Amino acid sequence: MFEEFLEDIAQKNGLRGINTYLKLATGLGAIILCLLSTSYFPPLFIALLLTGSILVLARVDAKTYAELFIVPFWFAAFSVAGIILISGGQEVFWRWDPMPWLSLSITRVSINQGFLVFCRVIGGMSAMCFIALTTPMTDIFIVLRQCRIPEVVIDLAMIIYRTIFIIVDQVKQIYNAQVMRLGYSTFRESIHSFASMCGAVFIASWNAGEDLIRAMDARCYDGKFALLGETRPVEYLPLFAVMVFLSLSSVVVILSKDMTII
Amino acid sequence: MGSIILEARDIRYRYPRSMEAIKGISFHIRKGEKIALVGPNGAGKSTLLMMFNGMIRPDTGIIVFDNQPVRYDTASLRTLRKRVGFVLQNPDRQIIAPTVYQDVAFGPTNLGYPETEVREAVTLALRHVGLEGFERRPPHQLSGGEKKRVAIAGVLAMDPDVLVFDEPTSGLDPSGSEDIMELLDELNHGGKTVIISTHDVELAYPWADRSILLLEGKILQEGIPEVAFGNPEFVRMAHLSLPLLLELFTELQKRGFPLTEKKPRTVLDMMQIIETLFQNTCCRARPGTITVCNVDLDNEELLLEWISSSTKISVGAMGTRAKQRAENRQIRLDFTYGVIDKCILKALLGDDSLILTTGSMVDRVHTRVEDYGKESGIHITVNPLEPGIVQTNKKSQRQT
Repeated sequence: MFEEFLEDIAQKNGLRGINTYLKLATGLGAIILCLLSTSYFPPLFIALLLTGSILVLARVDAKTYAELFIVPFWFAAFSVAGIILISGGQEVFWRWDPMPWLSLSITRVSINQGFLVFCRVIGGMSAMCFIALTTPMTDIFIVLRQCRIPEVVIDLAMIIYRTIFIIVDQVKQIYNAQVMRLGYSTFRESIHSFASMCGAVFIASWNAGEDLIRAMDARCYDGKFALLGETRPVEYLPLFAVMVFLSLSSVVVILSKDMTII
Repeated sequence: MGSIILEARDIRYRYPRSMEAIKGISFHIRKGEKIALVGPNGAGKSTLLMMFNGMIRPDTGIIVFDNQPVRYDTASLRTLRKRVGFVLQNPDRQIIAPTVYQDVAFGPTNLGYPETEVREAVTLALRHVGLEGFERRPPHQLSGGEKKRVAIAGVLAMDPDVLVFDEPTSGLDPSGSEDIMELLDELNHGGKTVIISTHDVELAYPWADRSILLLEGKILQEGIPEVAFGNPEFVRMAHLSLPLLLELFTELQKRGFPLTEKKPRTVLDMMQIIETLFQNTCCRARPGTITVCNVDLDNEELLLEWISSSTKISVGAMGTRAKQRAENRQIRLDFTYGVIDKCILKALLGDDSLILTTGSMVDRVHTRVEDYGKESGIHITVNPLEPGIVQTNKKSQRQT
């Protein structure tokens, strides 16, 4: 399953040992810069650098990384097509009025606008991937606590995190059991199978929840959840690299202010 | 035998809207005992175990822990649960936290230990189960055996006096099961009272000090394993099977062989019985020696040198740390379970063997071998691993 798979990569990526704050600063900084940028170029620049570091420094398999991009890529492509056709502008290249109330046009402004949005998606996506692939959830919990997020929220998040994998596992098992008995052979059958799987998983999760309470009680639960407190120290080289990356990207954002594709 | 630590007095329990699960059970468990609750599915084993740490309150009758009747207010339950650790059958249900460290730290944190003490308790518990360096791993990436160890470490971190295991080896492969049973032995040797429930007769028979045979919420038979499993009729009633050794013994007895009164618990016992039977025909070589290497001492070079210089030797490891050491040094292990007995068997064949073990277990090797010597009249030499032995070993090789 996908969640497990992403988390597994994050657990053993090449940048695991780097301070979590540095990685989060890189990812979040990149997203903010992508949004601030008024030109298509900086997001592409950021995407290129981050992709490079994901593939080379974090040693993530290129194929896996490409697969991660497929869904958002098509999503972005369709949205951008919509933006290009619907938004208007001065220099019209092509125009069609299929209905009295609907007119589709491609203009210089709409192309620029659409391409900018597309590049922002790519840049933002690579920044998200950077965080997801280099920072395991368990490290983020530590940061959350240090940021004074209420304990209840963190405890809940940790239990949910732990439970996700158990439920995913259960879904997998039930799904396999159904497929083995030809559960998804016809459309009708697959709706039926899916519904019964949901029911079974619901009951199983309910039981797991009760067991969880019992397990916590058996170990003297008193409203406290331990947290592996220490974060890795900030080292000079990574700190320097992050600062260079962010300042370089900022400079690119400022310099390419008015750059458009056409 | 130690004093009584846990006692049940005529307890009964009925699940809501269901049959009576426990129908009047009384027994006691002493400090430092190894107890196996054996019975078929639905015999009430798990229900009974859950009463030991107050998860289930009996309808009538009382549970006495350390001479105090168990009380069911929150504060008393906390104290009870600190002293009686419970390991569930399914480790996935027991492991709560997203990383190994956090999970093992769960108990100590909730007991209100300061952070340094929590850290210490976790490190100690993880070392005990052989999972050092796993602190940051998320549990869903671990194997079944490793998950089980995390669950055990989580309980050990609270330093309980009594450890209760529900089906400790279910879902594990044979070598994983053996490792866990060995770990239970190690814990018991460290002074903990260990109670397990199982329907694996072969597992319970050689391991337990006493076995309690349960059927339909009642005790069918209780006593040392030879007695508990000794009655084929009861064993059949409980939907179990006779331990193989015991069955073999009974079959030999039926055929009129003059056998000792003592029933065999281990392959070693059985071998001794057979050898006494055929004493005249069996040609026995001079017994080999057993060398004990204490891995807590700084003797790694000596050990490696010793192993490389002796080619035909069998090596066994006893205890988690000893096994780890062997793995780190890529020492091939011939025995990982029931090590002392297997080495005695080797010695009887005239072969030498080496046992890697930790400091606290060295005495156990001596005691077991001496006990065997007294019983059988065969003296087997146990040497500590020392530089002198290397030389004699080499010399003898040169001579051959």
